[in-house]
Amino acid sequence: MPTTLEPTRVEEPDVDEHVQQDHPWIVIVWNDPVNLMSYVTFVLQKLFGYSNEKATELMLDVHHKGRAVVANDSRERAEMHVYRLHEHGLWASMEKDGPST
Amino acid sequence: MSRFRPPVRAKGGGFIIDLGVDESMLIRRLTGELRSLLTDPDPDPGAQSLLARLFPVVHPDDEEMEAEYQRLMRDELVQSKLSTFDIVEETLSGDGRVDEGRLLAVMQSINSIRLVLGTMLGVNDDPDADEVTPGMEESAEYHLYSYMSWLLEWCVRALTGT
Repeated sequence: MPTTLEPTRVEEPDVDEHVQQDHPWIVIVWNDPVNLMSYVTFVLQKLFGYSNEKATELMLDVHHKGRAVVANDSRERAEMHVYRLHEHGLWASMEKDGPST
Repeated sequence: MSRFRPPVRAKGGGFIIDLGVDESMLIRRLTGELRSLLTDPDPDPGAQSLLARLFPVVHPDDEEMEAEYQRLMRDELVQSKLSTFDIVEETLSGDGRVDEGRLLAVMQSINSIRLVLGTMLGVNDDPDADEVTPGMEESAEYHLYSYMSWLLEWCVRALTGT
């Protein structure tokens, strides 16, 4: 029988895993031929609080690369972001963040 | 000829949507038509394809999650769009003054109309193809689409102070 208390085992949180659990979903805006560039930039600023510079960069990614990841969040919050993007008529979807993304 | 004044501009701490009677009637007619499409309990395939762009797929990789999402959220999105049409109708039948929240709603309505018109016209941004389905350039829908794009641009300019 030990005469002293055993040291308490503290589980070290795995930082990567923690991030995965908090933000395992990505919100994607897709290029579409109807939405105006100025409008997309404005909506990204309005919904996510991005600077004009950051929102413009994302909009240009959407325009030139066909898509851009505009947020990284829990499933529930990602669905809320997608919903608000759809209220504004942007073409948005979400997917689980994988090791390749 | 009088000096050009932006159709949407800041005024007295809020904004004013300053359209002619004909323009206001036209936009109210379009939101009315879109309202009918959205509230049709049994839309035909043509109507469904026009509306598809207003309700994108959220979970392209997972049918089950997609069904669950649409079951929970589709009606809410329909209601949200209908409420923006209410604000358009109230604003354009009144003095056109709006606060930021109501201007955002008007802007969303204008864009909903553009998305449906864009679908009708087959708008695409393929540099090697025509901007719209050949033969549509002279159609009333194309002119409406261009007009709504112009108006949307002014909404954004007013809201961003540019």
